Amino acid sequence: MSDVLVRASDVEKTYGSGELAVPVLKRISLEVRAGALVLLMGPSGSGKTTLVSVLAGLLRPTAGHVELCGARISELSESKVAAVRRRHLGFVFQSYNLFPALSALDNVAEVLRMKGFAPREAEQRAADALDRVGLGDRRTHRPGELSGGQKQRVAIARALAGDPALIFGDEVTAALDTRTALKVMELLRAQVTPGRAILIVTHDRRLEQYADHVIGLEDGSVVESKRSAPDAAQAGAMT
Amino acid sequence: MRRIALLSLAHDRGKLVASLAGVAFAATLVVGQIGLYVGFLESSSAVVRHAGGDVWVMARGTAVVDNGERLSAGSRAIVASHPCVARVRALVMAFLPLRKPDGSLEAVQVVGYEPVADPVLPWSLARGLPQDLHGPGRVAIDGLDVRKLQIGAEPLGAVLTVGTEEVYVAAVTRGIRAFTLAPYVFAEIDTARRLARMGGDQAYFWLADLARPECRDDVIAAVKRHGDLDAHAREEFRRMTENYWVAGSGAGTALGFSALLGLVVGAVIVGQTLYAVTKEHLRELATLKAIGATPGEVVSFVTWQAAVLACVGGGLGFLFAYLLATGTAGVGLVIVLSPTVLLIGAGAVLTMCTVAAIWSIRAVLTLEAAEVFR
Repeated sequence: MSDVLVRASDVEKTYGSGELAVPVLKRISLEVRAGALVLLMGPSGSGKTTLVSVLAGLLRPTAGHVELCGARISELSESKVAAVRRRHLGFVFQSYNLFPALSALDNVAEVLRMKGFAPREAEQRAADALDRVGLGDRRTHRPGELSGGQKQRVAIARALAGDPALIFGDEVTAALDTRTALKVMELLRAQVTPGRAILIVTHDRRLEQYADHVIGLEDGSVVESKRSAPDAAQAGAMT
Repeated sequence: MRRIALLSLAHDRGKLVASLAGVAFAATLVVGQIGLYVGFLESSSAVVRHAGGDVWVMARGTAVVDNGERLSAGSRAIVASHPCVARVRALVMAFLPLRKPDGSLEAVQVVGYEPVADPVLPWSLARGLPQDLHGPGRVAIDGLDVRKLQIGAEPLGAVLTVGTEEVYVAAVTRGIRAFTLAPYVFAEIDTARRLARMGGDQAYFWLADLARPECRDDVIAAVKRHGDLDAHAREEFRRMTENYWVAGSGAGTALGFSALLGLVVGAVIVGQTLYAVTKEHLRELATLKAIGATPGEVVSFVTWQAAVLACVGGGLGFLFAYLLATGTAGVGLVIVLSPTVLLIGAGAVLTMCTVAAIWSIRAVLTLEAAEVFR
């Protein structure tokens, strides 16, 4: 697999048809390379959510091509795209999306079991992932017994546990206070490795300090693409 | 996915209890109604099943064991003349008035039989022995009818006035109740004939025991050649009697409707719960889809929950049905919980839970993984 984890070429997405057609993404081309934390920023309605859904293979583009972790997903069947996601992707969301009935350990381990890990190995990997996000002592706690920041860390552990090449984050700090938000970003920043990238959709300008690259989106078009962090020379995103 | 599904189901105790109660209610109702239906069938044809006889001979046009007509002694000779017939037994089934101690009348059904070693009538004796009924004026009644007939605390030895004759209770049966609700009064044939004011060789039915069962159809045909006689194989006459009472009276339809109602109510309760649990977890399920869960894996979230509700709720329902059957046996309501009844009940509960799961399965199948970003 090359170090380009996502490549979008002239991607367009239009909802509806005829006179009711609403173009949401307009000829977007970008790349996300391994080793980068990339922020996708823009006002509400700019097309961020649609773009990240298309890049993650959750929506099909109306035109253009998307290559995800070496697979040209815009030409693959739903099941093959799902297999690519299963193998290479992790997700972190604003509202955590944890199963309330499961302990922190089970929330992580069950996803690993679903990915094909044996129950014992899944549990071990889940425990390791929770240790890595600093929740080793909260394994048996259910989401309802954890703070917002802790829940987000469980979600990060769930995303990390399968050792994905690419993690997509959606407003991961929106539900957190400033101090917790910055801690979560530090944690995510620490997960960027030479073989892994993180792409986060956000409104929050404070997060730019953690990014290697910031992509600005407005009215469905990329209006800004800048390197952000001091070590941005090694950053892996470009448009 | 099984673990996620089951823990999520157990997480909300209120919904779980409501669902289990719904399935248990439906299962109890379905199994109870089917068991009651089978009980009605068995009650209506109990005498036919227990009296034996390969071929039943009766007056032409007789459709049910309770509506027989008197047959002459000559007709017995016709039946006995067939070379395949080993033995002919007389059976009397006569409705007669019984004068109760308070002076009111109660219709009873006198069952008169010829005592033989096999089969033994009356069956299910709770007190007394078959030989206690040997001799004139001795009868057996059922324990369930003691109060109805205004007999005192000790039925054995009680004197009954049937028609104009007096008889006394020499034995008591257990759990034999006629579909017509007229209490059975079992008596040997001579006593029964005397009560019904019948001639010495008359009967309502002739029961032919065959030496060679394979010539049953031939015996029936031979009897039917006599214009005023009819004959049926015992199984056929059993079915005729059951259809006459249970289908003809509408009891079968009523019971079937109640069972269906139970299934519908159960399906709505289970469906509502499954849908509520699924809907509560749509974001998490969308997350699993986003991570790459297959449609089958996501659907199994619902199917595991439906399967657990069906098994646990159904099991509870069967237990309640058993308790119901045991409890009602004492008042003469027969609920038969045979393996066939339980199998039909299990199939019905499984179908109910499957139908109830359809809406939830549809919800998770149409769920878009992209929902996680909205």
